[in-house]
Amino acid sequence: MGNKKILIVDDDPDVRNGMHVRLKANHYDTFFAGDALSSMTEARKHEPDLIILDLGLPAGDGFVVMERLKAIPALAVIPIIVVSARDVLANKERALKAGAKAYLQKPVDNAELLKAIRRALGEPALATKAVVHDLGSL
Amino acid sequence: MKDKALHVLLVEDNAGDARLLREMFRTEKPGSFELTHLLRMSEALVHLGKGGVDVVLLDMGLPDAHGLDTVRQAHAMAPSVPLIVLTGLDDEALAAEAMKEGAQDYLIKGQIENRALPRALRHAIERHRMQAESNLIQTNQMQFKDEFLSHVSHELRSPLTAIYQFVTILLDKLAGELNLEQREYLEIVFRNVKQLHAMINDLLEVTRMQAGKLQIELQQTSISDAIVYAVDTLQGAATAKGITLTSEIDLRLPPACGDPTRIRQILVILLDNAIKFTPANGAVKVKARVSEEDSNLLLLEVSDTGCGISSEMTERIFERLFQTADPASAGRKGLGLGLFICKELVTRQGGRIWARSALGKGSVFFVILHVFSLPSLIAPALKRERQTEGPITLVVTEIGSQTGSLSEEVRAEQSQGVREVLQRCMHSDLDILFPKMGPGGATELFFLLAITDEIGGAAIAKRIQERMDEYEHTQKAGLTFSTSYRSVDAIKRYSNESMKDFVEKVASQIQELMNEEISSRMVKNG
Repeated sequence: MGNKKILIVDDDPDVRNGMHVRLKANHYDTFFAGDALSSMTEARKHEPDLIILDLGLPAGDGFVVMERLKAIPALAVIPIIVVSARDVLANKERALKAGAKAYLQKPVDNAELLKAIRRALGEPALATKAVVHDLGSL
Repeated sequence: MKDKALHVLLVEDNAGDARLLREMFRTEKPGSFELTHLLRMSEALVHLGKGGVDVVLLDMGLPDAHGLDTVRQAHAMAPSVPLIVLTGLDDEALAAEAMKEGAQDYLIKGQIENRALPRALRHAIERHRMQAESNLIQTNQMQFKDEFLSHVSHELRSPLTAIYQFVTILLDKLAGELNLEQREYLEIVFRNVKQLHAMINDLLEVTRMQAGKLQIELQQTSISDAIVYAVDTLQGAATAKGITLTSEIDLRLPPACGDPTRIRQILVILLDNAIKFTPANGAVKVKARVSEEDSNLLLLEVSDTGCGISSEMTERIFERLFQTADPASAGRKGLGLGLFICKELVTRQGGRIWARSALGKGSVFFVILHVFSLPSLIAPALKRERQTEGPITLVVTEIGSQTGSLSEEVRAEQSQGVREVLQRCMHSDLDILFPKMGPGGATELFFLLAITDEIGGAAIAKRIQERMDEYEHTQKAGLTFSTSYRSVDAIKRYSNESMKDFVEKVASQIQELMNEEISSRMVKNG
């Protein structure tokens, strides 16, 4: 069985790259988009198993992307995890209502991100592994 | 402006009083005032809703509204229109209350001199204008500052994300093996990333506090759980510094009335501080017990053997941005927001926080919280009313969701809004708004206890529902709001029954009612 494909949509190239390295190490294949328009093109081209979506994007924010994805039957089924720096209070409910599987706030814990990805993909959770480098809940 | 007639709305049902006032206007220069006279609150509200009124002269005893309620209603309908209340000779105290509710001035009937009326009207308008202007400036400034801080703390998150990602990529050896020195340095970077993250969160928290958006949901909360959590969280940091961190909890400790997340947060801040200011081989201890002076209070204590602070400073440390000037406590200082946040959180839960310390002798921080118990919640209302046989009504407001689930964030945010609405609708002296009583699920329930009969209960419920329908979040979030009430009549206090027993008896009846309400929802929602 091949690796699962994840499309990372974020306008910050460093954040995209950082996520790519972390996901590759966990055996996912990654593709990128930095704005609303190219996220549609990339989604069509690769038909990923999951999309990690930032909200603040140039030319139409993450909500616009979600709306457009939902309008295309082949893409509407792809699970979406929103990872954003925006305020949880104002955006989480709206994102979940728009169909996102999870809302994670930046900076997002590595362990938390991987857990959300596995859950969204319907993969079994990994046996508890000591994660040393998490952000903690301070 | 000079030549424009002032539109005066006179709301007065007493024909004699109204005639006198009309007479006073008649002596004014023609065209300087335009008077509309209405007899009822309902008519006045409709008129105010249309706009165009410059000032209102309001009688506080109308057929359909009475006392402060008249001021509240008029003010709510037209907050930008200055109000002057008309009262009787014996009502000056009430008039003073009216000023607190938004009235600009009051006039005592029968004591108004002819020339005084137009002057009072003009003054009221002018005063109101100046007040509105200064409020606006202040609000704008506050809003700008809040928005700025909120913006900054969000903008800082993106670069912090990239730093966190790559530091952990290196530490987790995803880019190859590290030598010991490299690892050590990266651990330093990582520690600072966490510190920066905590600071950004603090900044956001304070911004929320100032904007009145801090979310606190009082409920039955286990203090021992909170202590175990906080000690677990900070045990690592303590051990790393060679500090013993221990806890001592009275096993029979009753639950507190507080917000579990917030109590954990308070303890984490206090323990974190204690560890920060305690040298190696020191000790930090957290204790909890029922207060010796008042069994309705819980006392939490966080003590350390650190550098301490001079006793004059023990109050100032809770101020915002306070930093100790002591060079001995060198090292990283942080933003100086921790204790400020702590104090705000404790106060918002109805508690108190203070410190006892001396330089070089360590510090002890004390937090007082209320014990959670239904009898102690309702006792004040029963005593105040001195009513031993009066009926009691339980008003239940419910938030439901059209999607069948409420997320924690929405639950917390909506709860705060609904609580504000309920507080505005209740009689603050006689009614009691309970903290969160049941489990959540797909609905959120709010219980308000009123010492009143069924008719009073119906009136409160109606008032709540009306306000709820206007409540701005209703449509936005796809939520439903409903309000109902249940009355228990005449709970009798027997002559041989002590007040304590009586209160407990009433409490158990109320508890039963609440349980019924809660369980009926659980059945409904599966």
